[in-house]
Formats: sequence, structure tokens, C-alpha cells
Amino acid sequence: MLSRNLAIVLLLAASGTALPVVADIAVIVNPANSTNLTTDELTRLYTGRSSALAAVNIAESSPLRGQFDEKGVGRSSAQLKAHWSKLVFTGKGTPPLELATEAAVIEHVAQNPNAIGYVDASSVTDAVKVVLTLN
Amino acid sequence: MKKNLLAMSLVIALIPVTANSSTTINGFASIKAGITTGSDEQLYGYDDTLDFKNESLIALQVKSDLGEKLSVTAQLLGRGQDDFDVGFEWAFISYQLSDNMTINAGRLRTPFYKYSDFKDVGYAYDWLRVPQGVYGLGFDSIEGLTFYRTAQLGNIDSTLQLIFGGYDGTASLSGTQVNATIDNVAGITWELAKDAFSARFAYLIGKTSIETTSVSLAPDFTVGNLYQALAANGLSPLVTAIDIDDESSNFTGIGLTYDDSDWIAVAEYTRVEVENSFVATQKNWYASLGKRFNSFTPYISYERENNDAVVSIYQPYTAVLPPQLLVPVQGLVASQERDASTWNIGVRYDFHPSAAFKAQFSSEDNDTLGQRNGLLAFGVDLVF
Repeated sequence: MLSRNLAIVLLLAASGTALPVVADIAVIVNPANSTNLTTDELTRLYTGRSSALAAVNIAESSPLRGQFDEKGVGRSSAQLKAHWSKLVFTGKGTPPLELATEAAVIEHVAQNPNAIGYVDASSVTDAVKVVLTLN
Repeated sequence: MKKNLLAMSLVIALIPVTANSSTTINGFASIKAGITTGSDEQLYGYDDTLDFKNESLIALQVKSDLGEKLSVTAQLLGRGQDDFDVGFEWAFISYQLSDNMTINAGRLRTPFYKYSDFKDVGYAYDWLRVPQGVYGLGFDSIEGLTFYRTAQLGNIDSTLQLIFGGYDGTASLSGTQVNATIDNVAGITWELAKDAFSARFAYLIGKTSIETTSVSLAPDFTVGNLYQALAANGLSPLVTAIDIDDESSNFTGIGLTYDDSDWIAVAEYTRVEVENSFVATQKNWYASLGKRFNSFTPYISYERENNDAVVSIYQPYTAVLPPQLLVPVQGLVASQERDASTWNIGVRYDFHPSAAFKAQFSSEDNDTLGQRNGLLAFGVDLVF
């Protein structure tokens, strides 16, 4: 019994090192927000085609940012930056606010009824509501 | 150069920093170098000497949100080809009428093409430069008003733009910079996008005047001399038919894009007509295909320019024109003939989160002059 548990632990440890750790990403809104969010609408919010909610990003230095750009918006970070530079340098849009940490994103979303953000699914607290989980 | 920096810092210093306004400063830069593949070849301002200045540029943009849906945007841009002398490329105030309607007034980009608005922001696209066969028209900025309306038609995103204003600047004619104006510009553009597909349509009209009189046709013989000689021979109607004086002009552009984040395909067709003048009707197009491999995006594109000289404007006069006047008239009209095709092959490499390296080889085949021009160019585009 013990040896079988040990085998499972070893197996998990092995898989953990062999594969990059890619966490589920929770898309979060203010608890007061009753939005039913689709992935399509999420893309629209993070590409500036919708301003129904005020999107916030986590800083580029966080690995979560690149994962969200791919999974949530369907573009690489470089492609999204090229997209936003089209809007910025024609005065047509301002990219989402960037916050340094997941805690700052949770705090911002908890305090702004109109805000939308994302954090690692394991970081979610009661202060915010999860509307989508990307995996 | 010092003067330019001073101008830039003054503009930034003058932006009010108050509790009610939020000011953002962004910028972009391109450092590019190029060299033609042969000693007798010239293309896009390059020759067979490696040149780092011709297509390099740097720009700073200041946007100040004044609250109450009002903002002001100014973009200062210095081009290497102008010795980095800084000018306002854009300067406008913007008022948001509603969530999906905005009105801008000031110096704006003429919305001829899909990439007009951000053609200087190399980072925003994969090519080393926008296809010159289509984008080389000039008249890039106009002063006026523009109105944007975005809407969702079912699940199609629609952007409608109306523009009114005028152009007052220069135009390049047979290598000479001359004064040019386009009055009463009115235009509409409409872009529809769904998933990876988008389509764009543009139509603009205006009254074009180009001061051609100083353009030289032969040593000590200008276009102005020709007009005088024609008038002296009782041929004023021919002068009217040839000159570019308040002539009705129109521009039509059609663009199609497919971009699924792996493959990117773009094609644009444009037609430019300046009625009642020696300017040839220009029918140009390009098609481009790229494929993204992580940080690398290789691409290939083809451009076609077809401008037929309007020989019909002097044909009724061939019998009455003395040869010493017929020859320069023919020469002037023929100077607008252009039949060229260009292949481009290149790559974009995103080596940094805010910068891309690009390299592009272009080969222009000019059938009118029977000449081939090859150009190798590379450089870095960045945003900050």
C-alpha cells in the first residue's frame, strides 16, 4: 500500500518536472456583476472592440500574461501588442490597465464594479467572482 | 537636432498635469538600413550605398484625457529623410459622442488604405514597409473633421468613418516637390470584420490643384513655359485639359484581410483619378501572404502598378500643334505612364516583447523604363 502511494507520488513528481506548470486561469469580475461572459466577449474586451467592462491585465513580466493572451484572447503577446499599437497610435484606444501582481488584480476587481481581470485559479478569493475558467 | 529635442520637450512640458487630466506618452521608432543590389539601381530612396537614414524614424505621442469625454492627441514624428526634423503627424481633439460614436478634429491621417492610419508604426505589421506600389500616393495627412461609428451587425463588427477636410502641402512630380492642395475632401470608409476575415471599402473625392509650372521638361523649358507657348498659339483649351487646377478627383480602395493568428493574407486594390489633367488614372494592387511560426513570420507579397498615360487629351490637337509644342505635350503626358510589378520576400522576428527585427528583399520590374531594381533592407521596429 505504502509502496503504491509512493509510486503515485513519484509519478506525479515526475510529471510535474517533465511538463511546464500551466495553471487554470480564472477570469474574475466584481461580485456585484451579473455578467454571463462568453470567450468571444472576453476576446472583444481584451482587443478593445468592446468597452462593456474595464479590462485589466497583469504585467508582461508575469508568465500568466502570456498564457492568458494565448488562451483567453487567442493571440501571442507580440501579436496583441502589435494590435494595440494600431489603436494607440491612431488615438482609437488605450490598452487595458496593467497591474503588477495577482493580489493587485483581485483588489482592483473587488473595488471596481465594472472591472474584469484574471488570476491563477488557485489565487481566487471571496472578494471576486469567477465568470470563466480557462484551461 | 537640438532644436527638435527642445520642441519635443516643450510640448511635453506644456501638457497640463492636473488632477482631472491623465496624460500618457507613447512612442515608436524604426531604425532601418538598405542597399540596392546594383550600381545603377534606385528604389524607395535607396541606392547602392548602405543607408541608415532614409526610412528611419522616431515619434512621440502625447494623449491627454481631459475628462468629460474630451481628449487631445499629438504625435510628433521625425524622419531620417528629413534629417529628423520633427513635425506634427497627427494633432487632434477627440470628443466621444457616445459609446460607439467619436468625432475628431484637427490634423488627421487621410484614410486611403487599410494601413494608412498606422503606416509609420512598423511594429504594427509584419512587412518592413507598407507596399509602396499602392501606398506611395502621398497626401497622407489632411486637416479636417472625422466621425467614427462602430456597431455590431449580428456578429459582424462594423466601423464606419466619414471624413471632411482639405490637404495643403506638397506632391512629388517627376522627382520635383511642388505645392499641392486638395480642397473639399469628403470621404467614407467602411470596415467589416468577422472572426479572421475583414473587408474594407474607401471612397474619397476632392478638388486637386498641383502647381506644375516649375517642373522642368527640358533645360530652360518648364511646364509653365509650355502652357504660355500653348496659350500664345491660341490653344488655351489644351492648357485647361492638361493642367491640374481645381480638378475633380476621386479615390476608391478595396481591401481584404484574413488573419487567423497563424496565417495572414492581405490584398488591396486602389484606383485614383484626377479628371481633366495630364495625371494618369492609377490602378494599383498588392497581395501578401505570411505564416507565423512562434516568433518568426516569413511573408511574400506581390505589387502591381498600372498607370496608362492619358494620350487622348492631346489627340484632338495633334493636327494643329506645331512639332516644337507637340513633343513636350507628349512628353509631359507620357511621364505619367507607369507599368511596374514588384516582388517582396521578408521575415519579421519578434526578438523582444516590444521590438521586432525585419529583413526584406524587394525586386521591382519597371516595364515602362525597362529596368529592374533590387533592394535589400533590414531594421528594427519598436514601440515604447
